[in-house]
Amino acid sequence: MDRIVEFHDVVKRFGQTMAVGGVTFSVASGETVSLLGPSGCGKTTTLRLISGFEEPDEGTIRIAGESMKGKRPYERNVGLLFQHYALFPHMTVAENIGYGLKYRGWPKAEIPARVAEMLRLVQLQGFEPRRPPTMSGGQQQRVALARVLATSPKLVLLDEPLSALDAKLREELRLELKQILSAVGSTTIVVTHDQDEAMSLADRIIVMNRGCIEQEGTPDEIYAEPRTSFVAGFIGRANWFCGRLGKGPDGAFVTLTTEAGSTLRMRAPQKIDDGKWRACVRPERMILTRPDAKSDGRSDNLVSGNLVDIVSLGGEIHYVVEGADGRLLAVEPNRGGPRVNKGERVGLSFQPEDCVAFPLAEA
Amino acid sequence: MGRKIDDLFSGLGRIMNGFIVCFLAVPLIVTAVMAFDARSYLGPLPPPALSTRWFSKFFSDDYFLRGLGVSLELALITVCFSVCIGVITAVALARSNSRARELMTTLFLSPLIVPPVVTGFAILIFLSKLGVVNGFARLLCGHLIITIPYTIRATLNGVLGIDKSLTEAALTLGARERHAFWDITFPLARTGIICGGIFAFVVSLDDVAISIMLTDAKTYTLPVALVSSMRANFDLTLAAVSVLLMGLTLALILVLEKTVGLNQVIGQGTFR
Repeated sequence: MDRIVEFHDVVKRFGQTMAVGGVTFSVASGETVSLLGPSGCGKTTTLRLISGFEEPDEGTIRIAGESMKGKRPYERNVGLLFQHYALFPHMTVAENIGYGLKYRGWPKAEIPARVAEMLRLVQLQGFEPRRPPTMSGGQQQRVALARVLATSPKLVLLDEPLSALDAKLREELRLELKQILSAVGSTTIVVTHDQDEAMSLADRIIVMNRGCIEQEGTPDEIYAEPRTSFVAGFIGRANWFCGRLGKGPDGAFVTLTTEAGSTLRMRAPQKIDDGKWRACVRPERMILTRPDAKSDGRSDNLVSGNLVDIVSLGGEIHYVVEGADGRLLAVEPNRGGPRVNKGERVGLSFQPEDCVAFPLAEA
Repeated sequence: MGRKIDDLFSGLGRIMNGFIVCFLAVPLIVTAVMAFDARSYLGPLPPPALSTRWFSKFFSDDYFLRGLGVSLELALITVCFSVCIGVITAVALARSNSRARELMTTLFLSPLIVPPVVTGFAILIFLSKLGVVNGFARLLCGHLIITIPYTIRATLNGVLGIDKSLTEAALTLGARERHAFWDITFPLARTGIICGGIFAFVVSLDDVAISIMLTDAKTYTLPVALVSSMRANFDLTLAAVSVLLMGLTLALILVLEKTVGLNQVIGQGTFR
């Protein structure tokens, strides 16, 4: 498959701070990849390196096989959708969308037709004479997208594309954005700190932290098989157990003896040491049971505690359980209200396959 | 008790405001009235009869008219140069990091702090060492030095108000830096640039302290002509010219108000 973007050991420093510390990844043609991480993780710098506003201190960046060393932003044919759209306020919608066409050498006579085509794509037919400041956030977002896609760039970069919109609109536009991007078949990199945005838009997610790549994989892989405790904690919600590992009855599983004395079985990590470990369990994988439900013959883990809070979020119910191992969260789909009353003693059972252990020193 | 003190202070504040307005306005009003005085000597106010004789005297006096011509020509040329230099400097300042920008801005504003007489004298000595003896060139130098701080300041305000990502967006869309400047920076900073230009015009037109050092026998500005004629033979032509200058300044302020105000009505304003 054609590789549109290739990053090889790219390093970028700002004074003493290492913004990007030796990053290597590639994006295939037609693929949508998300760079996901907290603020300051180097994802925005990576984006600016690709678009040409920053030059790497070390390493090489290739776009469509061509080295980008010394190439100015206008020599790269990379479209960038800015977080706050960056529409030109003194130009009409048509002038905004036609701006790139003008400088990318489109014949003047063809520009109005192309502008109309792009406006159709983003469902804003007839908006040509409007000025961006008179339009709503969602409409501005679409115009910005049309402006980026008009010149058919080799690569489209989206910088926090939905963060400036309110929650409901974000949901709608996310679906639409995905449809539009797949309709034009563009290769896309989405930079975001919002995991929902990353998971719903991307075929593949690259999780970044402190200038380095923590993990690369499909959204499901990242969620189910986090490779580091940072990824486990950053993607989705997690319950944590701290303790020391011991050999399990068979090779595939180990036991974790928590500080509070519970013994939990879990998948064996690649290496085991005597240090402290943390294990992560997703709240959706925790099943609310009776506190003495151990006797069903299965080898599930069970911890018990008091149900201190029930939060109903409409579609799902969050049970907050305070036990010896601290505060735990179980999330179940809402099927006719909570099953247990607040204050009752409950058990939480979960399967060893759903536990992932990480050495504590790493975090 | 506390409330009474508050009331007292806000009352005092209002009285103070009234005083300041009077202090600023009364001399202007008196001047304006005197400009229309029909008497040929300085008599007590109000004048018994009104006339426009001082205005006709002004417009029939070659000495003043020559000064007016030089002043207008000088002010227009000063504005052109000053705006160009101001815009270039402001764009460069806006691109530098904020510490360097603050330092440089302070440096560029320093001509406002140095006493104008000192600046004028320094330019006179400097230019005569260089062999520049042309009065107009000397005046232009002096006026550029005192107007550039205003054009830089006003343009910088305009340029800093423009979101940096607009220029970046233009670049990613294929525009070169110079295209991005003419397409984005220049139209969006227009209000600031016009403000700076008008300021420069007014400052150039009004200056006495520097100009008086740099004039020669044939090239002198109107304010310099007024000062010397006041020493020689004082009459109310001075008041008439003052009224004319006030009118011109007022007109410029109205233009400024109109451009800025109109922009806001169209919704393009300063884009902040």
